[in-house]
Amino acid sequence: MTARLWGATAALALAAGAGAAQEARTIQVATHYTDEQVAPLLACFDAYEAENPGVTVEHQQTAYGDFLQTILTSRVGGTAPDIYNVYSVWVPQLAAAGTLEVPPQDMLDWIAASYSPSTLGAATINGQLWGIPTELSIYALVYNKKLLEAAGYTAPPATWAELREIAQKITRVNDQGNIDVGGYAYGTSVAEGVHPFYSQMFAAGVAPYAEDGRSTNLTSPEAVRILSDQAALFADGITSNAIAVDNFASGAVGMQISANWNKAGWQEAFGDGFADTVGVARIPHDAGPGGTMLYSFLWAVDSTSDVKDEAWDLLRYINTPQAEGQLSCTGQMMAGMGSLTGNAADLATITAGADDFDRAFIEEVTSGRAVTQPNIWQASEVDRILRGYIDQAWSGAMPAADALAAADAEIQAILDEQP
Amino acid sequence: MLSGLLTKKAAPWVFLLPIVLFALVFFVLPVLFAAYISLTTWDSLSPPRWVGLRNYGFLFLTDPVFWRTVWQTLYFATGSLVIGVPLALVVAFAFSRSRSPGVWRTLYTLPMVTNIVAVALIFSFVFRETDGALNRFLGLLGLPGPGWLTDPSLAMLSAILVFVWMELGRNMLLFAAGLQQIDPSYYEAASLDGASTWHLFRHITVPLLRPTILFVVVTGFISGMSYFTLMLVLFPGTQGGPSRAALTTGQYMYQMAFEDLRMGRASAVAYVLFALVLVATLVQLRLMRRGGVEVH
Repeated sequence: MTARLWGATAALALAAGAGAAQEARTIQVATHYTDEQVAPLLACFDAYEAENPGVTVEHQQTAYGDFLQTILTSRVGGTAPDIYNVYSVWVPQLAAAGTLEVPPQDMLDWIAASYSPSTLGAATINGQLWGIPTELSIYALVYNKKLLEAAGYTAPPATWAELREIAQKITRVNDQGNIDVGGYAYGTSVAEGVHPFYSQMFAAGVAPYAEDGRSTNLTSPEAVRILSDQAALFADGITSNAIAVDNFASGAVGMQISANWNKAGWQEAFGDGFADTVGVARIPHDAGPGGTMLYSFLWAVDSTSDVKDEAWDLLRYINTPQAEGQLSCTGQMMAGMGSLTGNAADLATITAGADDFDRAFIEEVTSGRAVTQPNIWQASEVDRILRGYIDQAWSGAMPAADALAAADAEIQAILDEQP
Repeated sequence: MLSGLLTKKAAPWVFLLPIVLFALVFFVLPVLFAAYISLTTWDSLSPPRWVGLRNYGFLFLTDPVFWRTVWQTLYFATGSLVIGVPLALVVAFAFSRSRSPGVWRTLYTLPMVTNIVAVALIFSFVFRETDGALNRFLGLLGLPGPGWLTDPSLAMLSAILVFVWMELGRNMLLFAAGLQQIDPSYYEAASLDGASTWHLFRHITVPLLRPTILFVVVTGFISGMSYFTLMLVLFPGTQGGPSRAALTTGQYMYQMAFEDLRMGRASAVAYVLFALVLVATLVQLRLMRRGGVEVH
């Protein structure tokens, strides 16, 4: 009798354990955001766990530079996270390799209805939407109001010719002939060279790549003119490799084409003087309709996840404002970083309380002037090649037309590889 | 079975088994796998696709960056040796004849134990074009201040100078150990014959240190050929310095593999680099293999 009782108890315990095991689900979310940045999201995960008993959400933080490698390694090891926050230009390779899960129809409908149309392109490859656009990075001309005023200008330049004239007056050199204050600045990274170039091309009305992503427009007259104009700033001593966009925070740069995510750093640098110092204007252009470029990160789900439904549900939860006039959890995180989401409700809420800085960038999105960075094949490799040739033109080692022709030849070979 | 493992004949193999297994898993298999991968196109996400020697063909015939990185890598490796080895030898020789060699050696080995990020940060302040310490000093002398880290023609030279500073302590220690192996009676005998310090150094120290010099040169060359950590931290955010002027083959291979997901092409680069290092090492061994007191 006692043995039977023990047996029955053990069976019940096993059954209960099995049931609990079936119910317990863990959703692993991988992002490149720091603990401080991701804090609003972690609070949201806790709230989601409370509303969904049995579900545990774990955050995996990986440095941006190591993010793609981490995805690869984790997939090879069979420990891939369920949700990724990935840079949109990685999506063509990840999608082609079957890494990402196509969102279910109800998610596709919800994303299409909830997100600004100009941001959906960042998450779309060949007509297929792969996730939820999140951190929007929009490019505009950022300028130091005080340096412009000291040079005698109260308004930012509207054309490149005006920019060159203002930048020339702002520039100051020291006794050794090195630039102390640069009228204009570029950056040292691939993005800090290529993205302003793309932004200027969009402003000139010419996309850098064909719509189908199989050819370039890098040898177009507009592209050559833009790069020639950029190189002229170096030749004229208005900028140099030593005066980079990082120097803006120290007041050593007059103007640069930069993305909105720099806001938090500049607020920290300028403190109470931020609003009186940092101005935002449209990308100067001599011809064409005007415009700029934006790129985005997106939330996506791993195709091997065993909790796909739960993952999409969680994504919808963290990207939906919980009450009228409130930001979604993702929106809160972005606002804390001085960044933006593509969620239309979030954008409306942010706009209501936005300062001049945010409003200028948001307007580029809502007006449709900002065009998404083309998600072309091997985008990061292509950008690096282009940056290499842009450097050649800037340094005067190659004329702009030759540099872009060489870049076009190399990039075309890569674009020809795609299926 | 177990009794067979306990025999005297099998004992060495049993003791060697862990290291043999380690070498097999972490050295032999990856080397063979990389050889196979170098003949495929593989993004590590989907299965490899056989392309034969196409990756090697691309590197040798098409890629405009690869050969440039090879020359830059050779420049870095040989430049570091040409400046660093004689300097370390002279410093070690001088310290061996000083009153407190231990103190000097400790001071000069400090760069060796300093974190490379801290080293890069310090030298970025030294080398800054506008307000760096070096250019400020040159300014006091009325000289122009070049862009040590921003001028493509100077970027690699700056990296070499920092690397020499970093490696000076290591090489000096190796030379110091070699110097201690030289019998003092050689110096005493030569001194009695009227040899000057220069003659002692030239005709006793250098010939008897040839095995150490060979070791320092070969290991320094091999590490220089595959090195890029310093470039990553000295030129942050760039793709190998201004206009890629400090891009080494090792870093280029890393970019191919982990940024472009071109594992096959990166493996081919690894094998070409291996071949170059092997040939250069064999040449060095051939030129310098005879040395030490046994030669005399």
